[in-house]
Amino acid sequence: MIDFSLSDEQKQIRSLARQFAREVIAPQAARFDREESFPEEITARAAELGLLNVGIPGSAGGLGLSMIDEVVIGEELAWGCMGIYSILMASELGVTPILIGGNAEQHERFLGRLSRGGGLAAFALSEPDNGSDAAAMKTRADFDGDDVVLNGTKMWITNGGIADLTVVFATYAPEERHRGVVAVVVEKGAAGLSHQKIYGKLGQRAAHTAELVFDGVRVPRANVLGEPGDGFRIAMRTLDRTRIPVAAGSVGVARRALDEATSYAGERHAFGQPIFDFQAIQFKLADMKIGIETARLQTWYAAWLVDSGLPHTEASAIAKTYASDIAFDAANEALHVHGGYGYVDEYPVAKLLRDVKLNQIYEGTNEIQRVVIARGLRNR
Amino acid sequence: MKIVAILKQVPDAEARLRDGADGVDLGGVTFVIDGMDEYGVEEALRLREGGADGEIVALALGPRRYEEAIRTALAMGVDRAIHVETDENLDPISQARVLASVIDGEGADLVFVGGKQADWDSSALGPAVAEALGWPHSDWTTRVEVRGGTLSVTHDADEGTEDLELPLPAVVTTQQGLNEPRYPTLPNIMKAKRKELRKSSLADAGGAEPFTRLLGQSLELRERRNVILTGDPSEAARELVRRLRDEAKVLAK
Repeated sequence: MIDFSLSDEQKQIRSLARQFAREVIAPQAARFDREESFPEEITARAAELGLLNVGIPGSAGGLGLSMIDEVVIGEELAWGCMGIYSILMASELGVTPILIGGNAEQHERFLGRLSRGGGLAAFALSEPDNGSDAAAMKTRADFDGDDVVLNGTKMWITNGGIADLTVVFATYAPEERHRGVVAVVVEKGAAGLSHQKIYGKLGQRAAHTAELVFDGVRVPRANVLGEPGDGFRIAMRTLDRTRIPVAAGSVGVARRALDEATSYAGERHAFGQPIFDFQAIQFKLADMKIGIETARLQTWYAAWLVDSGLPHTEASAIAKTYASDIAFDAANEALHVHGGYGYVDEYPVAKLLRDVKLNQIYEGTNEIQRVVIARGLRNR
Repeated sequence: MKIVAILKQVPDAEARLRDGADGVDLGGVTFVIDGMDEYGVEEALRLREGGADGEIVALALGPRRYEEAIRTALAMGVDRAIHVETDENLDPISQARVLASVIDGEGADLVFVGGKQADWDSSALGPAVAEALGWPHSDWTTRVEVRGGTLSVTHDADEGTEDLELPLPAVVTTQQGLNEPRYPTLPNIMKAKRKELRKSSLADAGGAEPFTRLLGQSLELRERRNVILTGDPSEAARELVRRLRDEAKVLAK
């Protein structure tokens, strides 16, 4: 059975997300990009509308939306601003390990709190000296009676320090590499937890990215997700899933790039005709369209696998890699279609390119995704 | 108090419309609830939030695709909906008779409807519904207040605004400035699916005889003149001012 249609309810959800992106996010995106400031009001508004932490199940007070719902929303919001969408996406990334590895009590205590209070979550895996090679992490977790004590530094953490809850991955046995990792939930304001906002990012400047420092942060053992030693598996299973919204966001950026380029190509004249009428331009626009449609199909497919409870590691790696690559190309070509105007901030296309570069890097670089895809080939 | 909000579904304001073989080609067009009607839905919700007890019913007359617009109203907070489903192209007067018969059957006290319809730009529906019901009406309304059995409103008149008082039941046509419609929230979108959407037909409403017959439709296209003024700059400027004044009539004489 193959069916690409959205339900009436999904169409409503898409139309809400589209309207929110068009009327609330897009008009303010340039300002938050320029000021490198956090769009507090927009995030609060998104939470009020139910666009934040949509994956929290009904049993914990959430909406329990499917992955398909989430990618439909993600594409629309990222059309408005990838940086602002990353705030919501990163919160979903923080929620997911709790969903995957948490018990019923933790679901209620952590996710219930998020769905009632509208707060953000965060996911802390990367460190200053390691990213793709996550098993090389240095942040320590030491078990002390009923507590876990954390020491170390996490890097590039979206919503880091401003999130109500942060899922932290730390090692209690570095020599065991990935088998010695524990996932633990740290609440905002924990003693010994501090953060430093990272300024000077190329793009996605509305998103708050921070370095998180753990200096003897003590949390109850009841905050450990699964068993000690499950941490690495929880992190990888989380990313297998949350890469799909990165793909959706990339499709949104690519669609925005095509919209901007198409509209500019219709207005701008050269040699007595709109530049749209030149095949050199038409081919660029057609290639963008090809990328958008095919990337969306793969994104929906990967999301459908998740919703169907089927293996999705490879499909999500393909979706994330392909969608972010075509989106980068689309933004690059859209900028080119704008000529000199594309190179300044008067038009939104320069920001699209700056923003979408990150989609090829975060939640597993596209190189790591290709390694994952190739690993599947070797085992055949 | 029972409030009925009449609504239509129209092409999105950013939709690109084209002439097709049989009238306007609506293929690939995104449809939305008519913005003018949305003010009515919002106002009904606000009246209730302001303390008015009772039920809010969305009412639509049109083809099957209207369902999406109806769901939007349900997601905004309307309690239930009635959809008189038809593919027939009815003029506003015959539409008004059908709608009036449903409203009468519902025993409504107050009806909201957009001041004009965004698709074919008629301003007739609201007044025609009031006429068919024999109720008073206020058009182009920008303020609504219910005081017991009377309605106090402000509406646009030819040379300014008027404050009116009218007895309920009444019809109010809405417009920009009345309020800022809310977004339907995600939880409400999910709840809307469980709300009643009653389907009805023209026959249920006593049938409809169109007063006018549609022969064809086409879009009015605005074509650019593509005139470039050349030559001496001050001459060209004078010519531009003359054209703006005499042809475009955007400058006063």
